[in-house]
Amino acid sequence: MTGLDVVFVLVGLLTAAGAVLTVTSKNLVHAALALAVTLAGIAGVFLVLHADFLALVQLVVYVGAVAVLFLFGLMLTRAPIGREALDSQNRGLALAVSGGLFVVLSTLIVLAFGDVRVDAMTGPGIDVIGIAIFAVWVLPFELLSMLLLAALIGAIVLARREDGESGEEAEVTRIEVGDPPINESDGPPAEVAGDGQAELPAGSGGGGQA
Amino acid sequence: MTVLTSTTALAQAPSILDVGDGVVLPILLKVALVLGLFFVVPLVGGYLEHKVMGRMQNRRGPVEAGPFGSLQLVADGIKFIQKEDIIPRAADKPMFALAPGLALVPALLVFLVIPLGPGVFAVDLELGLFYALAITSISVLGILLGGWASANKFSLIGGLRAGAQLIAYELPLIITAITVAVMAGTLSLVGIVEAQANFTLPGLEGFNLWFVFPQIVGFAIFFVAAMAELSRPPFDMPIGDSELVFGYMTEYTGIKFAMFLLTEYAGMITMSALMVVLFLGGWQILPGVATPGCEGAAGIMSCDPIGIAISVLVTLAKIMGLVFLMVWARVAYPRLREDQLQRISWLVLVPLSLANLAFVTILTVVL
Amino acid sequence: MAQTSLPGTGLLKGLAVTVKHLFKRPATLMYPYERNELAPRTRGVIALMDENCTVCMLCARECPDWCIYIDSHKETVPPAKEGGRARTRNVLDRFAIDFSLCMYCGICVEVCPFDALWWSPEFEYSEYTMDALLHEKDKLREWADTVPPPPALDEGAEAPAEVTEAIAKAEKELEAAAQKEADKAAAAEAATTEAKAGGSGPKKADEPKVAAGEIDQETYDALIAEGKSERIARSKAKAAYVKKEKARLKAEADAGGGDAEAAPTPKAADIKVEAGQIDQETYDALIAEGKTERMARAKAKAAWVKKEKARLAAEAESAAGAGAPAGEEAEPPSPTDAAGSDQAPSTDAPAEEPAATRKLGDVHVEGTGEIDQETYDALIAEGKSERIARAKAKAAWVKKAKQAKLDEEGGA
Ligand code: SF4
Ligand code: SF4
Repeated sequence: MTGLDVVFVLVGLLTAAGAVLTVTSKNLVHAALALAVTLAGIAGVFLVLHADFLALVQLVVYVGAVAVLFLFGLMLTRAPIGREALDSQNRGLALAVSGGLFVVLSTLIVLAFGDVRVDAMTGPGIDVIGIAIFAVWVLPFELLSMLLLAALIGAIVLARREDGESGEEAEVTRIEVGDPPINESDGPPAEVAGDGQAELPAGSGGGGQA
Repeated sequence: MTVLTSTTALAQAPSILDVGDGVVLPILLKVALVLGLFFVVPLVGGYLEHKVMGRMQNRRGPVEAGPFGSLQLVADGIKFIQKEDIIPRAADKPMFALAPGLALVPALLVFLVIPLGPGVFAVDLELGLFYALAITSISVLGILLGGWASANKFSLIGGLRAGAQLIAYELPLIITAITVAVMAGTLSLVGIVEAQANFTLPGLEGFNLWFVFPQIVGFAIFFVAAMAELSRPPFDMPIGDSELVFGYMTEYTGIKFAMFLLTEYAGMITMSALMVVLFLGGWQILPGVATPGCEGAAGIMSCDPIGIAISVLVTLAKIMGLVFLMVWARVAYPRLREDQLQRISWLVLVPLSLANLAFVTILTVVL
Repeated sequence: MAQTSLPGTGLLKGLAVTVKHLFKRPATLMYPYERNELAPRTRGVIALMDENCTVCMLCARECPDWCIYIDSHKETVPPAKEGGRARTRNVLDRFAIDFSLCMYCGICVEVCPFDALWWSPEFEYSEYTMDALLHEKDKLREWADTVPPPPALDEGAEAPAEVTEAIAKAEKELEAAAQKEADKAAAAEAATTEAKAGGSGPKKADEPKVAAGEIDQETYDALIAEGKSERIARSKAKAAYVKKEKARLKAEADAGGGDAEAAPTPKAADIKVEAGQIDQETYDALIAEGKTERMARAKAKAAWVKKEKARLAAEAESAAGAGAPAGEEAEPPSPTDAAGSDQAPSTDAPAEEPAATRKLGDVHVEGTGEIDQETYDALIAEGKSERIARAKAKAAWVKKAKQAKLDEEGGA
């Protein structure tokens, strides 16, 4: 057993513990943090396997963005973030799905990489990855990014429309830095001046500026 | 790809701390270097901030602790350690305790890849730039958690604001960094310095240019985004004390508060160091000037001890210059509103950095 | 306006302003090492001149915080004249201000009718406990020594109305007095030697007319060394010069006219000494005791003034003793001449009373408004208000006139 093996085992245990905590924790924020630990642990596993680029991507995408997004969502929405029990009554189904997934994935992995020695592996350099993505697989990559973009725009459109609204924004008069004061006689557009005049008592309109 | 980018071999440069054949000694030396950087340079930066800010406001700044008040931050640290460590009753105690550490550790880890001079770094990763940006993005977690765990409205809102701000400004930051990487053709920080040593314009052979000259827009974007990433004034909405008391740090006292503060100052140093490496030619004194005692590309890449010392001093001086700029902006400008903050990022910096990236990429490919 | 300039100039302006200030001298005053000159009316702490306090309780009653504590008892003063009514007098036992409650509104200072409360610029009296902020009479009296003189008038400013009035009156009275002196001298001429009497009259009349243009260099230097502003030092030095000159002339006149009439023997209280210098001995002792510099200075000044007064009094006495055999008459047996005490009887009264006790009451003299200049001067020199001095001097004049009448009658 080399030092690398020891580190690998430790990181693996940490990842597993994070995963267990994620599903058992009764506190949503704790669960989200445990998820972050799991994702970081996976980055550690990548690192031990010399896939440093992948590890950093894992870190920046999953820990830096996805986990933060989870926490953000939890805090912004009125999800039960206290210590209230959280149970969607779907344990049986969840167990079946995750168990099935585990069996399928592990079978696949064993079948595909069963004979490959781990210590023979060194992660591909970024140049290799770059060529793979942007030369060999450039079409699927572009398709994927189109899909993501569509999803992004769709999400924004959905999020902006509220019940009973057409999605069009009402005209809002904004006052920006540097705008002239509204009641200045020469500054604002005529309608604004007119509005102001209508609201003011008679005699205190534009004549007052003279 | 002839002129605009360097085509240097990407061999990872060895650290001068790799002495002897053993494993333990270099590691100890590197840990010492990183810890020394982490605990000393931010204090110097903080002292600079105190003094400059004081003078700009017609004050003197610290004068009592140490010569010219230079030990003020050390005294502050000792005071923080002595203070009572208060944890609110309603707080989520483990999270509350964890958050400052979660914010601090990434700031510490970034120092691993910062090159101060030829060979003066803990490790020169092939992905150094990416590593630095990835690690800093983790700090958000600590800040969000701290804000949530305090069980305080101000803290929660401060944490949320910090989260939103960090996400918003990470984008232009990373895109600009990518732009530089495209120009340099490498992600290694040492490699980027070397690329600047080799970077010339046609007709100016023998006179290298730093990336700040062709990339002045990128530098400006990076500078603004870095200040926002650090929640430095005028981008300090998350701790806006006129409305949020002290944002996510409201409930923190004593050593935990000091950890948040140290994170901020260390972040100031790492961001400045990144800017020095990405835009200001690393440890080169001036564009086209060779460091005495050094040779290699543009006369800065391999040095004798004197040259190394000069290089380290040059880097530190540049870092402090950038810290000065940050302090200057802090003193000169009032705090931005939250909506202005988000608008600047999404409507100005992100499109600008994307356009910059496209422009540079096209230029690089065409030329 | 902002619209006309290029975008971003505002940002640059901000940077320019801040960097300009970077190279300016900081406005900081390094407080424990440097001190600025506090305005004479600084509301530092409330000082008490307990000699002036009559226990009228106005301050305690007006204080919005009720933080002034006064205890007193009544004392009976034996009647001034035989057969008169015994009077009672309040004696102050305790006067304390709780500065943990005081809000420095200054109402007590404003309301005190006897000038017993003053603002002192002393401000370094913080304590570690609230209780320690309750300061008693002694402490408050110490602070009274640190009360600065009122600020000098602006150059070319008109003197306050009461001052010009008083000066005009005093001048008139002095002229009258000179006239009187001259008459007296003329009368005395027949009986005694001519030369000295002739000399004493004009000199006395000249006495206050000292050209006020010069300054007393000694005082000036001392004040500048103390760190006073040039303006203050000059005005004080001017005053000091005038006073000294007066004192000198008076001393000359007194020495000259010693036996023409009873030489007015100066007592410690009568002699005005300009308070510019400090008594180094006292100062050192106080500093060694750990008093603040300001406090020590104030006390040392007071000590110097006292010493100086004593010295001058001794000098003058010896001069008078040598010149005038009539010294015993001039030495009034009044022991009650505590500085600044309003209860102190008029200096001349006790001296004359024993002689005239029986018959004075019978004699009637019309009070014509004339005053006894000698008494008046003495009282003014003691620091009495002009009004009091005049009233007393009038009384003294009446008494003298009666005495004169009596003598006349007796002679007849
Ligand atoms: S200053 Fe005001 S509050 Fe203080 S003792 Fe005088 S009257 Fe009372
Ligand atoms: S008002 Fe003046 S005189 Fe009356 S008790 Fe107070 S301090 Fe004494």
